Amino acid sequence: MPETFSMKSLSRIVIILFSFAVALTARDPTGYLFVTNEGDDTISVIDAESGGLVKLIEIGGRPRGIGFSPDRTHVYVALGDENAIGVIDAETLEVVEKIPAGSDPEAFAVHPNGNIYLSNEDDGEATVLNPATGEILAQVQVGIEPEGVAIGPGGDRVYVTSESTSMVHVISVPEHEVIANILVGARPREIAFSADGKFGYVTCEVGGEVVKWDLATNKIVQRKKLRREIRLVKPKGIRRGPSGDTFFIATGRGNAVAVLNADTLELEATIPVGRRVWGMAFTGDGKTLYVTNGIDNDLSVIDVAARKELRRISVGAMPWGVIIDD
Amino acid sequence: MPLTRTLTLTLLLIGAVSAAEVKIAYVGPSLHESSSGRGALQGLKEAQLQGRFLGIEYSLVEAKPSDSDVLRGSDAILVSGSPDQVQAVTRTVSQQAVPVFNVAAAQNELRTACAPNLLHILPSDAMLAAAVAQWRQRSEAESVVAQAWHPAFVKFAARDLNKRYKASWDTDMDDEAWAAWAAVRIIADAAANLPEGNVAERLSYLRTDLEFDGQKGAYMTFRKTGQLRQPLLVVENGELAGEAPVRGVAASDALDSLGPLVCSQGAAR
Repeated sequence: MPETFSMKSLSRIVIILFSFAVALTARDPTGYLFVTNEGDDTISVIDAESGGLVKLIEIGGRPRGIGFSPDRTHVYVALGDENAIGVIDAETLEVVEKIPAGSDPEAFAVHPNGNIYLSNEDDGEATVLNPATGEILAQVQVGIEPEGVAIGPGGDRVYVTSESTSMVHVISVPEHEVIANILVGARPREIAFSADGKFGYVTCEVGGEVVKWDLATNKIVQRKKLRREIRLVKPKGIRRGPSGDTFFIATGRGNAVAVLNADTLELEATIPVGRRVWGMAFTGDGKTLYVTNGIDNDLSVIDVAARKELRRISVGAMPWGVIIDD
Repeated sequence: MPLTRTLTLTLLLIGAVSAAEVKIAYVGPSLHESSSGRGALQGLKEAQLQGRFLGIEYSLVEAKPSDSDVLRGSDAILVSGSPDQVQAVTRTVSQQAVPVFNVAAAQNELRTACAPNLLHILPSDAMLAAAVAQWRQRSEAESVVAQAWHPAFVKFAARDLNKRYKASWDTDMDDEAWAAWAAVRIIADAAANLPEGNVAERLSYLRTDLEFDGQKGAYMTFRKTGQLRQPLLVVENGELAGEAPVRGVAASDALDSLGPLVCSQGAAR
């Protein structure tokens, strides 16, 4: 027991030191939005302030999940049809590499230690990839159609949803073993965590609900069905609000962003946006939220404090995910 | 570290000892050589994968309508056969309240009979006709049929299910394969949510609490007649043309715009 404990502490210290190193080498942010366009195999790079297109990157291969490297020098993109993670230089906006990542990568999360945890949709696995070496460190068997991936608050757990098995799988780091499975609602898609690191929240698209569970016990503590309040709701994206006491949910064909109270899961606000809203990105200052409207081929720009849509920005076909370099 | 390992192993062993077992009987054409059989086996494989994570074991055995003991001892039964066969099996297990899943007969009369333990996964003739009628309201197309499934369907996660089925069987998923797949997955939904439940409790769960993800976008529930509410696909000249409820004619969540039926007088419910 003492041995396990010290190992865990050591790995936390390593992560903290690593984060400091990242902070020291950080470059100036560009203020660019990166949007994956699943329908035309491109990335729209948009100047967030002007809304103007900076560059359309023809990346190929059904781009869906998107995220930064820990030092934010690179943008990673899951390319399902190329079985690869595409790597874009965040400053030159050139595609610098495509790293083989197992079959049909869809979504991923980047661990503070630099490893990419990704879901391989069509063969029911989660893959751990070291992008620096291209080495696949582990492949973990999970349920059918794995999708959402999230690094746990302590860095020692990774959570993966499997859409067609209706589960959240809990994977230990660094052992990469499935240590718990939580049966949630139908078609679980994305995960976020409470500010105090005690609870997980998962969107269930076909179940039309958000399910909250206790990270210590892996037991469900609360569920919130949204169908009565938002017609045709299909929750997909979820992000913790900037104040920490709310969660913002992209409701798919509910064509709205829902704001839920983090404690009670009560619906505080419904913000109408475009059709089939999925991807979400808050600015660093928490004042603005960008969401992707998959059928309207645009982004909605949301004033977070006012809880209303300000304007739209055109992007490519079937936008899926969005991140902001700020 | 070793402690963690030991604990994990112990938990696995406990899981194995207390594993729930779900026995599914299948009455129909050869398992490996029919759409119904292949669909059922695809569903079984997927149910077993989920079951491994939850400590639930699933088995599928072939049975004849005359195998009363096997049928009565099952947790659920799939029937791919004539309306007479469906009704005979349903009567055989009605006392035990074993849920019977009709996966191949579209006759309306089976629905309006409203047997409490009979559930219909395949859409009824009335539903198929309603989907075609909605489509005709919008366009004058000639050769239009409605189906439960189509191998070219990609929206939602249909692409994934079509891929999995084709990888397993090297043939396209059709309506009967989808219905049998869905039946086994619905049985697994009930078992996963009620691992300690008996057949009657699971049947009640299916009729009142189920929200099934049939990989056609909508969540699916059962009507009072035992019919699974579901979107349908519209096919023009063999090509996938759209979905029903048909946009512009009915709301996309108005699944009861598709051929609802009422229980006939003297029916069980």
